[in-house]
Amino acid sequence: MKHYIGIAGTNAKHSTNRQLIQYMSHHYADSATITLADIAGWPLFYKTPDHTVPAAATTLAEQIQAADGVIIATPEYDHAVPAVLSSALAWLSYYIHPFAGKPVMILGASYGALGTSRAQAQLRQILTSPELDARILPSGEFLLGHSLKAFTDQGELTDAKAVAHLDELMANFAIFADINAQLTNSLRAIHKGAQA
Amino acid sequence: MKIVAIAGSIAEASYNRQLVAYIASHFAELADIQPLSIQDVPVFDEDLDIADYPAVQALADQIEAADGVILATPEHNHTLAPAMKNVIEWLSNQVHPFANKPTLIVGASYYTQGSSRAQLSLRQILEAPGVGALVMPSDEFLLADVQTAFDAQGNLSDPGTQKFLGTVMGKFVQWVNVLAAMKPTPDAPAWQAEDLTASHPTDTTIPVPMDADDWVEQGAAKTHAASGHDYVQLDRGLLTVDQLNWFLNTFPLEATYMDENNQFVYYNHFRDHDDMLAPRYPAQVGDAAAMCHPKRAQDHVKQVLHMLRSGKTDRFAMPVPGNQVNAKWIMHYYQAMHDGDQHYRGVNEWVLDIWPIVADYLKQTGQQLVPVPGAKVDAVSGASQSATAPAKPDADTGASAASEPPAAPAKPAPDADTGASAK
Repeated sequence: MKHYIGIAGTNAKHSTNRQLIQYMSHHYADSATITLADIAGWPLFYKTPDHTVPAAATTLAEQIQAADGVIIATPEYDHAVPAVLSSALAWLSYYIHPFAGKPVMILGASYGALGTSRAQAQLRQILTSPELDARILPSGEFLLGHSLKAFTDQGELTDAKAVAHLDELMANFAIFADINAQLTNSLRAIHKGAQA
Repeated sequence: MKIVAIAGSIAEASYNRQLVAYIASHFAELADIQPLSIQDVPVFDEDLDIADYPAVQALADQIEAADGVILATPEHNHTLAPAMKNVIEWLSNQVHPFANKPTLIVGASYYTQGSSRAQLSLRQILEAPGVGALVMPSDEFLLADVQTAFDAQGNLSDPGTQKFLGTVMGKFVQWVNVLAAMKPTPDAPAWQAEDLTASHPTDTTIPVPMDADDWVEQGAAKTHAASGHDYVQLDRGLLTVDQLNWFLNTFPLEATYMDENNQFVYYNHFRDHDDMLAPRYPAQVGDAAAMCHPKRAQDHVKQVLHMLRSGKTDRFAMPVPGNQVNAKWIMHYYQAMHDGDQHYRGVNEWVLDIWPIVADYLKQTGQQLVPVPGAKVDAVSGASQSATAPAKPDADTGASAASEPPAAPAKPAPDADTGASAK
């Protein structure tokens, strides 16, 4: 049983990205626990002179640290990730590094047809920066377009193909998390050997 | 040229803010460059209303009013600083001040990259449809190793960097100018094309100076015009010129002929100027429309002429200001004239007081007029279907003098005196 943190990159009251994480936590309850993290209400990132971060960021950092991986569902604003998400990631890499070496799966939902393709590419770029240094699931994208019509009233995804695709990605993500753990362990061993 | 410049940082100290300050002071002769603060912009939330955040609205207004924008972006985690993205989200949701705004990206960073990836992200964001900025292509100003880039006076210490920034700024000013020149001007309303100077002669135009007092006599000589006892064949009849005059001069109305070149070529001269409802002098005949209408009325004249020429309507009617209910009700009627091929050939304008006719009718039929209870009456435009703009009486000419043309030519408020009256 894997344990993941799910981040919907939004502070909007109604968000189909949050809905997507909620769907996953329910749909994959047999194979994983997915805890939905809330980044609404965090202050906008700035470089605090004393290097402190908001308490909410510290808490989430600890949860991420303890998790097997992170699932981020990003909206797309102006061909990019919302500021509220990039700001949260900035806090989560300011003198704390919970994402370093952490498996991350990127997905996203949008009202239009494209399903956040550009925001996902940018998020990938952000997560590879040295201060975040996440391990992003390399292949397979999940782009949920027309997201306002994608869910039933009960919060189920209506498109069976999308469900099958997401099932596959989730299975891959679990394998990726295991391989990454091995990689991290062997890297650690190499570093130790080099130091010895 | 007015430029606003924003550093994408809300940190207490910011090298990008320093860069903006340097640009503003160093290139003051090139343009008026005003740094804007984003310190008071809250976290964007699509559920919030910009109207509740005056600091954000002010920022939008300042960008809107500027000719161009300079954005200085820090780089954070391989992308632009959240604070800068946050501002752009506010300014691409309910308001769109960046739309079609010439924009220059610059940036400073601690190490070698000089914000290269942040600038690419910012460019992509600025070009998104909701933002719509016109980002200057080609030159990138990437200020690396920023901690050592400025001297104690806040100037860029490297002469090469200084010079390059000067080149970039010069190009940006050019970019602003080029885009300003390309800005589409809204299509002028079609009625503005009406030429009141009558400089498009038609097949009936006589080559005589239009402003000549004896335009009629000169023209008659030039055209060997029929006169007196000469017969003219009409549809349907045959009259001498004398007979035609007796006939036209006894209609109970003042008639004016404005041809399709907007030249005033005839009126039925049976009253003296001072006795006329729409006063004309004999010497005015031949004048271009522009010469017989006061300037303030000319837009209205154009609107009416255009309506008639374009066939939007064949007749336009309006009462003059100063009419008195149940005593005197002078109407101007403008009727489009067409030839056998349905080509527009000018305006037949007639002016008459309809009250005696109405009064006579009431007398003959033993009736009285009663007001409709609650009816909204506009004493000026009540009798006209289309003249809805208020007109003010004009002491000099008796003409309507609404000083502003109405927004839509579909609802013109012409000068009451679209015939000829300025002298």
